[in-house]
Amino acid sequence: MANSGRPPSRWARWTWPLSFAALAAVTAGLFAVRGEVDKAHIVLAFLLVVLGGSAAGGRLLGIALSAVAFFIFDFLFLPPYYTLVIQDPLDWLVLVAFLITGIVAAQLLARAEERAETARQRAVEVERLAVLGAETLNVGRAEEALSAIARVIQSTLGVACCEIFVARPGGGAYRRAAAAGACTEVGEVDPAGLAAWVAQAGAPAAERGDRTALVAPAPTPAADGGAWTPLPLWNIEGDVRALLVPLRVRDRTVGVLRIAHDAPVALDPAGRQFLDALAYYAALAVERVHLSAEAERAEAFRQAGQLKDALLAAVSHDLRTPLTSIKAIAHRLAERGTAEAASIESEADRLNRMVADLLDLSRLNAGSLPLRLELNVADELVGAALRTVSGVRGERLVLVQAETPGVVGVVGDIVQSVRVLVNLLENALKYSPPGAAVELAIRRRADRVEFAVADRGPGIAEAERDRVFTQFYRPPGTAPDVGGAGLGLAIARRLAEAQGGAVRLEPRPGGGSVFTFDLPAAEVPALGATGG
Amino acid sequence: MPNRPAQTLLVVDDEPGIRAAVCDAARADAERCLTAATGRDALDAARRQHPDVIVLDLGLPDLEGVEVCRRLREFTQVPILVLSARHSEAEKARLLDAGADDYVTKPFGTVEFQARIRAQLRRARRPAPPHGPMAIGPFTIDVERRSAARGDVAVHLTPTEWHLLQTLVANAGRTMTHLQLFRAVWGSSDGDPQQYLRVYMAHLRRKLEADPYAPRHFVTEPGVGYRFEIEPANGQ
Repeated sequence: MANSGRPPSRWARWTWPLSFAALAAVTAGLFAVRGEVDKAHIVLAFLLVVLGGSAAGGRLLGIALSAVAFFIFDFLFLPPYYTLVIQDPLDWLVLVAFLITGIVAAQLLARAEERAETARQRAVEVERLAVLGAETLNVGRAEEALSAIARVIQSTLGVACCEIFVARPGGGAYRRAAAAGACTEVGEVDPAGLAAWVAQAGAPAAERGDRTALVAPAPTPAADGGAWTPLPLWNIEGDVRALLVPLRVRDRTVGVLRIAHDAPVALDPAGRQFLDALAYYAALAVERVHLSAEAERAEAFRQAGQLKDALLAAVSHDLRTPLTSIKAIAHRLAERGTAEAASIESEADRLNRMVADLLDLSRLNAGSLPLRLELNVADELVGAALRTVSGVRGERLVLVQAETPGVVGVVGDIVQSVRVLVNLLENALKYSPPGAAVELAIRRRADRVEFAVADRGPGIAEAERDRVFTQFYRPPGTAPDVGGAGLGLAIARRLAEAQGGAVRLEPRPGGGSVFTFDLPAAEVPALGATGG
Repeated sequence: MPNRPAQTLLVVDDEPGIRAAVCDAARADAERCLTAATGRDALDAARRQHPDVIVLDLGLPDLEGVEVCRRLREFTQVPILVLSARHSEAEKARLLDAGADDYVTKPFGTVEFQARIRAQLRRARRPAPPHGPMAIGPFTIDVERRSAARGDVAVHLTPTEWHLLQTLVANAGRTMTHLQLFRAVWGSSDGDPQQYLRVYMAHLRRKLEADPYAPRHFVTEPGVGYRFEIEPANGQ
């Protein structure tokens, strides 16, 4: 780190001489009153000097002061005076106690000072991370956040250049997304280069001055599944000019951070950990760029879908007015005896239905079809569906067979359920021979209610059975102007599935097909015999 | 229909083609055809000319369809037949609740439209509900005396079923929304009206329709409501 430790005070070089001067002064003062003071008072006075020295000049000064005071005490204040000989064994105790107290006090003070210094450094780091976090969140555009982070890292670590590389959408190649400081211009990250290796391996690497590389072991994924896996403290030695760190979020590499310097990069373990934390911020910012790009894309898709929906709705609406006029005119022509007038009217209806089908398909695809799922009775769905197909049915019969007695309840949207049945009935009527009746069976099966529409049409080959439900499907060999656009069955299945039902196809014994529409069954509320 | 006074139709649509088509389709039932292109003109014409039936398009340039219905209902009970184009079933129900009597979805066929117009004119001419016994397919129903029979066999209806039947008969030819029916029969819209209504309707059909799966008189308008038809419109 560029500025580790507290800046030295201008009084620092005077600490030692001043401390010894204080010791000398105290000695002189005590010497003057040697006969009248107790040994304990002398020891306490010396201890004060030792503690003061330790606090001001650190551990070494404290120990030195203790040692010197020890000899002064012995020489001047313990009888016999002016010798280092000690007469009273208790004086030994006083002397040794003084020495030990002085040294321990010096040690404790120094340790407290070191802790305070570490705490101060952490406070600085936390402050920088807070600045970084604020920069990341405050910057409006996600890409600008990356530039802000590169600037903060470059200035915090005091390196010449900081660059952030992110993967191009679609994976593979990396590009430089942000740079701060004096960086060399790179257009594209060399796919065979060190940055690409770091991104691929998810492990840090270093570039040496002699252009050789040093790589670290890949990190093991976090056991607790946490978002941030600290990188291992690998050994960087020698003339390291650049460090490359993978940017990882949830064990996934999202980019590469590169710091480069014109002198060897020297980072102590605390500095490396700090770089690690900064890299995590950068990784979050890269992820934010990625997510916001995805959100923008999703929003664009949504808007395009809405536009398509609105366009289809407008077209379908605008078509209805001229179609109404066409039908009215065709009716008038038919009244005057024009034979083809009826087909004009039915073709107008067909056109209208095709546009309505396209609109519904678009809404189904966009998931914007409104559905009201509620209790309905099978009678009503069938009755409304038969009423709707009465036009295309003509003289042909639809035989309804209720296999389950009583009122059968289903959960579904009545409008869309009727449409499913109508589409299945129309399909059956379209492909049935003119004399053959279409059969509709209603039955309860466990927790489902089935509506089975059976026809005597040509049947559907097994290979085609899934394809009949695809959009714009037409049976092989169908003339281009027969029937609709091949949307009826696709819409029926999609509508059924949208409301928790299903449509499936089985061959009918004796020829033809059975299309079965099922919905969740519902219990019909019991109404009193006299009717509530 | 002989010996009846000349009928006046008011067509409200901003498309001249539709106005002409509607007048033409209704010419057998309405001798006079008035037209209006905006909601305000329609309100004005309805106030001064007293039409017998109003055909109202919803896509008017000046006023919402629901608003025109509401304002018309402030001073007249003339039948309103709504022409809708892209409206959902919920919106149609909202229109009926606002006072419209029936709706036809564009593009409509002339035969269907004529049947609807006739039903509205018939209703307007006969404001009181039908009296005495009615023949409904193979059934004979007398709502005042609360008796129903198929031939000589009496059909038993519960009090709620009678109440529902009376409401439908009194509004014959008119699509009643779920809300309107529930208010008329139960007096409120509390609880879960629709599911009870559906079950009662299913019971009514099973008792009074020859084929409950192909009802001819108790018609369901999916997502909107129910309509009682004395004479089936499409002649099934």
